[in-house]
Amino acid sequence: MNRPLLTIGISLALCLPLAAQAGSKEDFNDVYSKAQSTHQDAGTFQWTVTSDRLKAAKSAADNGNFEKAAAMANEALRLAEESVAQRKQQQEAWRNVAIGN
Amino acid sequence: MVKAKIILVVLGAALAVPQVLAGSTPEEDRKAMVEYFMQMFPDVPFEGFVNGQYALNEDRRRQWESMQDFPPYEFAVADGQEMFETPFANGKTYASCFENDGIGIRQNYPYFDTEKNEVITLELAINRCREANGEEPLKWKKGAIASISGYMASTSQGKPINIKVPDDPDALAAYQDGKEFYYSRRGQLNFSCASCHVQNPGKWIRGDFLSPTVGQPANFPVHRSDWGEMGTLHRRFAGCNTNVRAEPLPAQSEGYRNLEYFLTYMSNGLPVVGPATRP
Repeated sequence: MNRPLLTIGISLALCLPLAAQAGSKEDFNDVYSKAQSTHQDAGTFQWTVTSDRLKAAKSAADNGNFEKAAAMANEALRLAEESVAQRKQQQEAWRNVAIGN
Repeated sequence: MVKAKIILVVLGAALAVPQVLAGSTPEEDRKAMVEYFMQMFPDVPFEGFVNGQYALNEDRRRQWESMQDFPPYEFAVADGQEMFETPFANGKTYASCFENDGIGIRQNYPYFDTEKNEVITLELAINRCREANGEEPLKWKKGAIASISGYMASTSQGKPINIKVPDDPDALAAYQDGKEFYYSRRGQLNFSCASCHVQNPGKWIRGDFLSPTVGQPANFPVHRSDWGEMGTLHRRFAGCNTNVRAEPLPAQSEGYRNLEYFLTYMSNGLPVVGPATRP
């Protein structure tokens, strides 16, 4: 048996999960940062469900579960975008329902 | 000819834009709001609106009336009176910070302070009084501050709410900010304060029976069965916001103080009935 080849093969196999995890961590960091910034953009129109997803994402990342962390951060981003859209829409829409405008 | 047309258009726009921007005055808003609810609930007399849902729902009213024999806020109000009258470490009391020694003044809060350019609520004034006298501020939503505020409200019972928006652009801006907050939909459930309390009072939303806007702040601070204790108006604001999955603002933040300013102005002329009980 070719021992050096086997060593290289085993080393590569062991590195694969680490490489995959590193990729997820990068993905997570990107999405999490974008979700946080979008959540801030919502101002006084922030949603509690966005905050919950952000907390869950951070907690999963702290535990090394970057797949779950990225999924939570993606959800947070989607919710934050909806809250920003709500903020923009309400800037004028509230006047349409106000009594005595 | 073209020049004349352009001049006419510009002149028209110049006349129209300020009117649109100016909108209605606070008093026009209040009158329209009262008229709206008087038409919605023709059997409820104006002063009846201070009783909120109890003015609209007979079952709830009977439960409330039976509770009035031994109101659950009595002990808190007694505690509030004791705290109000107990001197600070420097020997002064709360009375030193307020007009008329703090007795019978609830109906004038919140007011707009034209020097500080901000809305001053009763709870804010209580904590600023403490700080001015070298004491630590109290927590905003419940406990001692609700008891002291409750005692002060009890000395104003029956006095008509008398909120003023002075002829000052900052005061009007604070009022408008509160109005905008009240009518803006927020949270994942996409509800505004008005969605429940203007458009749907008298209806159930899950286990809650919705009260009308007019009269709401006359009861505060309130003892809610849901809380099992007294709480301030800003605690209620935060609870409502959380219910629709909107992040609440901090109690006594500028946003909530402006909201209280608008909301209380809408109840001008109604008597103070706080502290009160609510489910």
